[in-house]
Amino acid sequence: MNSAAEVSSPPRDARSFRRRLIGFIAVGEVGVLAAMALLIAFFWLIEPAFLSERNIRAILNVVSFVGIIAIGQTILLVAGEFDLSVGSVAGLSAVVAAKLMTAAALPVTTGILGGIGVGALIGLLNGLIVVRLGIPAFIQTLGMLFIGQGLIQVVTGGYPVYPLPEAINTIGGTDLAFGLGWSFAFFIIAAIAADFVLRRTVLGRNLYATGGNKEVAHLVGIDTNAYKIGAFIVVGALSAIAGMFVMADLGSGGTSIGSGWELTVIAGVVVGGVSLFGGAGTVAGGVVGILMLKVVQSGLVVIGVNSNWQQIAVGVIMVMAVGLDIMRRRYFIAGA
Amino acid sequence: MSTVQAPLFSATAIAKNFGGVQALRGVDFDVTSGEIHALLGQNGAGKSTLVKILNGVHPAGSYTGTIQLDRRVVSFASPADARSNGVGYVPQEIEVLEQLSVAENVFAGRTGLGDGVLVHQRKLEQRAGEIFADLGIDINPKAYVAALTSAQRHLVMIARALVLKPRVLMLDEPTASLSGTEVDALFSVLRRLKAQGVAMIYITHRLPEVLAICDRATVLRDGQVAVRIAREDFDAEAFIFSMSGQRLQRLFPEHAAPVGAPCALEVRHLTVAGHSGAVHGAKDISLRVAAGEIVGLAGLLGSGRSEILHGIYGRVPAEGEIQVAGQLKSIKSPSDARAAGIALLTEDRKRDGLLFNLPVGANITIGNLAPLSRNGMVRGGLERSSILAAMRALNVKASSPQASVTHLSGGNQQKLLFARVLMRAPKVLLLDEPTKGVDAATRHEIYRLVVELAGKGVALLIVASELEELIGLCDRCLVVADGRIVDEFGRGQGGEDRVLRSVTAAQAERHALAAQASS
Repeated sequence: MNSAAEVSSPPRDARSFRRRLIGFIAVGEVGVLAAMALLIAFFWLIEPAFLSERNIRAILNVVSFVGIIAIGQTILLVAGEFDLSVGSVAGLSAVVAAKLMTAAALPVTTGILGGIGVGALIGLLNGLIVVRLGIPAFIQTLGMLFIGQGLIQVVTGGYPVYPLPEAINTIGGTDLAFGLGWSFAFFIIAAIAADFVLRRTVLGRNLYATGGNKEVAHLVGIDTNAYKIGAFIVVGALSAIAGMFVMADLGSGGTSIGSGWELTVIAGVVVGGVSLFGGAGTVAGGVVGILMLKVVQSGLVVIGVNSNWQQIAVGVIMVMAVGLDIMRRRYFIAGA
Repeated sequence: MSTVQAPLFSATAIAKNFGGVQALRGVDFDVTSGEIHALLGQNGAGKSTLVKILNGVHPAGSYTGTIQLDRRVVSFASPADARSNGVGYVPQEIEVLEQLSVAENVFAGRTGLGDGVLVHQRKLEQRAGEIFADLGIDINPKAYVAALTSAQRHLVMIARALVLKPRVLMLDEPTASLSGTEVDALFSVLRRLKAQGVAMIYITHRLPEVLAICDRATVLRDGQVAVRIAREDFDAEAFIFSMSGQRLQRLFPEHAAPVGAPCALEVRHLTVAGHSGAVHGAKDISLRVAAGEIVGLAGLLGSGRSEILHGIYGRVPAEGEIQVAGQLKSIKSPSDARAAGIALLTEDRKRDGLLFNLPVGANITIGNLAPLSRNGMVRGGLERSSILAAMRALNVKASSPQASVTHLSGGNQQKLLFARVLMRAPKVLLLDEPTKGVDAATRHEIYRLVVELAGKGVALLIVASELEELIGLCDRCLVVADGRIVDEFGRGQGGEDRVLRSVTAAQAERHALAAQASS
């Protein structure tokens, strides 16, 4: 079957431009990007300060924290599960790392590894319980959300962990370029790596198969349980990293780190075309979705809209984005 | 006979196109009261489009042509509109509400019985019971649908279509999931409806059923009526000819069992647990398949045939010994089976075959990416060329490897799945209903493929509900009843009657044993 002689690239005929154009529009991220460009133009026309250096920097900074988690959440959604405990895990990992560095007086590196370890461990636990015991991810990770919040209070006694070692403040305060620091650099590198893994690797393809139909994936020899548990661990570890970057940014192990992120992350990646039912979406899409949500939130602040309306806008945009995505799929993918 | 009568329901000059593709080009079709009119044709011939127009799925205005019911021009805006005008439809897929009772399923959507918001449970059950009695069906209206077999579920769906007393009933492949005796039960229901004057449109791929029960047959090809045949002129060869446009010389390609070939698959004492009461497991199954041999597992639905395949493939926990090419293999999962050179084509394409989130190409290579990748990265060019080669080799008709699998015809979907399982060049190939829901021409392509694979030394073990197919194709048949092999015969040593006799004898013996044990 494998005719290795035919390795040459496919012929490019005249129709290929049209096909590529349709293919381009059919790519999930393009729709969101176009919508985002319109929104940016809209906010800028009303208030030119929206595109000020300071505001752009502020948006990108916030996106870097939530975006790191969105990468993991996208991978997990593609594998057919999701995690509501990401915010709790981010907060818990941050305060555990902070406690290790201060109360336990361990080296900074150990503290950071400890924080990542907590995140990965919770991910492993979520994965094992969902996969082996068959408890729905919604229930398990919602439970873990509460457990994590409780543990944050237990670890800290309700007080932020402060002061932190100087090295942490340095990580938070470094300006690599354009006022953006290590969190943004990590976010970009992780996003590119994860997007590549999903798009080009066997591992990525197997994740799509697992999320598309677990039974089919199992029958073609894919260890679906391992993939799902692995995806839960990745989400946990990335949540921990995001939590610790926020801690470095604040210079304190605050007890409210990560609070409320779970819904922002899910809303964002869904706006970016990642399916809640598994097997569809890309990291690029998920990241662009998060960016768009933050652009809207920031834009509404800049043009002076009441904060209550901002929440309403986020809700409307999420539903609209999914609606548009469904229409796009019908037209371009079904029709092509 | 009934052809002299004026048609009850007729469609004239129906044409419909989908974005430039002409699906129907001026089709005339009619059915008279008390007639069963078969609608035949390959996938893509326009059958489902016609049915969707006749039952309002494609609403009036989206097609051209006229529909008449009782010499009155009608136009349906929706399936509900068609239903209330007396045109009922029983879809191919079983759509039941498992958590509800049979009576509630029969009256789904109208449990208020037309007078208010409350559900009259007792009245509902009584009315459902009346419908069943009328049809000669023995199902308790109070039973939960979850406990019914798929044949019984199909009968519940027919009963649901009959609630509004339709004058025209369309049945879309009603026997796709039924076994022989269940088909007989369905036919007796259809005969009763016929006697009551219901006009029926019977869509099917199975020619023996047309010969058995239909009064007239219309064959569609490329969106046009290829031929219309009255009962007295029925002939299987003629149907196949008019459906495919070419005469298929013989139904099954010739194949002789290899002599002295080494044993490719040996199964000893395989035991698989049954599930949910209706399906038997496999009990102490021992069998051998030689390289290049085609072996069939014959038996009724639920007899444990599929479970034997699943046990060998490691899909379900099984006990026993499995040897491939003389080597003992420990198979605990599908990936163990694949490593041992065993491949399985599953029965249900939609549930455990296709990945609807991935395009045609990725559906073929999924699970086969190891040779197409380097350091875990898929080699795009190599993947594409091997996909194209596989699509060519199996004649999978899709616009490109990027096309969606959703819109492929059943036959093309099945060939795609064949391409997937063959990509690893298996030594042992397990096929579960390889021709289910597939048009006649693809069916023959699959027969030829099976014989070709056997010629290359692949050992094949096939499960199929159509005995004629199994007996025609296989070098040897094993008859399965209640999870055991009860008979075995080679090519030419028996026909469908032998299978049925062996199954009946085995069941009688079991009843006798049970009676003995209880006394």
